[in-house]
Amino acid sequence: MAGLCLALFSFSSLAQEITFPELQGFKKTTKYPVYLPENLWDFIDGAADTYLALGFVDLHVAEYKKGKDVIKLEIYKHSDHTMAFGIYASERSSAYQFINIGSQGYFMDGVLNFFKGDYYVKIRTYSEKPKTLQAQESLARMVEGMLTGEKEMPSSLSLFPDENRKINEETFVNESVLGHQFLNKAFRAVYQAGNETFSIFLIKNPSAEQTLKTATTYLAVGNIEPDQSESRYVFTDGYNGTVFLAWKNDMMVIISGLAKDQADIAEKYTSEILK
Amino acid sequence: MTEITRRRFLKKGIAGAGIMAVSPSIIASAAPQAAEEKVIYRTLGKTGLKVPVISFGVMRSDNSSLCKAAYDKGIRLFDTANGYQGGNNETMLGNLFKEFKRDSFMLATKVKPNTDRDGKPTDQATPEKFLETFNISLSRLQMDYVDILYVHDLSNPEMLEYKPLIAAIKKLKKDGKIRFMGFSTHKNEPLMINAAADKEDWDVILTSYNYKQAYAAELAAAIKKAGTAGIGIVAMKTLAGGGWLDRERTKPMNTSAALKWVLSNPDVHTTIPGMTSFDQLELNAKLLTDISLNETEKNDLLADMADPGLFCSGCMQCLPSCPRNLPVPDLMRAFMYAYGYSSPSMAKDLLAEIGISGNPCSGCDNCSVNCSRSFRIKEKIADVSRLTNVPSDFLS
Repeated sequence: MAGLCLALFSFSSLAQEITFPELQGFKKTTKYPVYLPENLWDFIDGAADTYLALGFVDLHVAEYKKGKDVIKLEIYKHSDHTMAFGIYASERSSAYQFINIGSQGYFMDGVLNFFKGDYYVKIRTYSEKPKTLQAQESLARMVEGMLTGEKEMPSSLSLFPDENRKINEETFVNESVLGHQFLNKAFRAVYQAGNETFSIFLIKNPSAEQTLKTATTYLAVGNIEPDQSESRYVFTDGYNGTVFLAWKNDMMVIISGLAKDQADIAEKYTSEILK
Repeated sequence: MTEITRRRFLKKGIAGAGIMAVSPSIIASAAPQAAEEKVIYRTLGKTGLKVPVISFGVMRSDNSSLCKAAYDKGIRLFDTANGYQGGNNETMLGNLFKEFKRDSFMLATKVKPNTDRDGKPTDQATPEKFLETFNISLSRLQMDYVDILYVHDLSNPEMLEYKPLIAAIKKLKKDGKIRFMGFSTHKNEPLMINAAADKEDWDVILTSYNYKQAYAAELAAAIKKAGTAGIGIVAMKTLAGGGWLDRERTKPMNTSAALKWVLSNPDVHTTIPGMTSFDQLELNAKLLTDISLNETEKNDLLADMADPGLFCSGCMQCLPSCPRNLPVPDLMRAFMYAYGYSSPSMAKDLLAEIGISGNPCSGCDNCSVNCSRSFRIKEKIADVSRLTNVPSDFLS
């Protein structure tokens, strides 16, 4: 009984109420259950792993039908705005047609996806009828208005220099950055300078002490002991090859994809981020 | 300024590049898979493909260096899907493998037909749409063919004989765009596998299979039947929840033991554990050459099997034995919501949905419910059903 009382009065609900909007001319059905981490597999099979790794909380699904035309609406809630960006960005391609909705959204072959606040919204139709596609966008606008939360992109993304950055290829890596379990929660941007393609990872740690600790762990991969006065290193990281590592206070920058003799490029970008 | 800072970067770099490393990943990169000749291969049924017992479920990885490292260690079959990471997963693999000799690796992808909640084809499940989606996959992968094309996520045997789809896939096979056809399943697996074993069309089945499934014995029998019919079996969801024994991720699973348990079934030809880190790769790569369960691993599995935890596996064994015909699996799910997820409001919602008001066991003194996980059903129902008397305002 004590356990139940504790549960009753101390814990808050994980599943949020979602009231699906009506869509004129379409019949709304909500026959799907609310999916939770333990049964998301039932809905999206192996893709669930990526969602779970990015703080998936719950999923509400509705369908809108008009004759044979179906519009399927999926609203994924994640643990915070960064995680919602992470799952959205993992499925985004810079080749898509971007539209002004939520924090960002795009349309591609009957798929309209966007994110806002802690939510990632996916709306799909197989119909190619213009009226159905218009209804799909109307539904997206209604859902956007219904959902609360930030309409901006995560602020850390603004720290990436614009020069040579491949637009709309930024991602968020929640776990095992560059395949290392001790490196987590990095924003990543891809750059193309001439023939060189390289990635910059930006990690904001809880404290300067944590930054130093993480950097020390990473440097150990290259068998390097950090020098107290030094905060910029280049070394060979096993399978990843050459990496440039730098930090300042709680911020850490890792650049992968450049050769050792391209330190000037690494320095240019690093300095701009850590200024 | 640039020159100064360049020297700063280079100062440590020279030292770092040449010194012998202590990290497992460094050691591995310096010494490519020395034991490659000892890798355990199994033949993937009638496909004749020789596959290492460990393959790579790429779905979560966006790091081509990790996939390259897996290849260097002797892993040869890489598993992706059209829908993983919105297609970015296939694109990443395509960019990696375009430099490889095509017969030096095997690639499996999946395309999902449009099905309803019962797993039946909808009006949108046209072969044209399926082929269009597959061709997008092929384009992303930058390949002329894939080794295995799975119809993604089948749970209804009707789909196994859905002629428009099967004819389209056979055409792909005839045209050389796929070498073998299969399907993936993680619901109604025994039913699906048994049904497929009676048909000639299917070359490979990708099925969930792990030591925590209450119906593992039934599934093993179906796998055996499929194996006898010449169907290759690939196991997924082998870690039964991602490598942790609890939702809070405080109890790590012995993942090697879990994989070895799956591979102790000789009718399972390979497994596709998901990997995102070099440490996971190192651990799984050891299994390429050794899949024998040691005593510690056996004990870990036994201990975990003995712990019923909070998760109802949904085996439905309880249903016929309840004298009041209660929806016991749903009630156990409500219990899990309340205690496992700390969400009594979700539990209350579920109880309302299934029409529970008060203790449905009240007055029943002869509980004969038989639970495969040894849950104390009556106690749990009495406990969680009290939520139906609590106003919702107290739960949010």
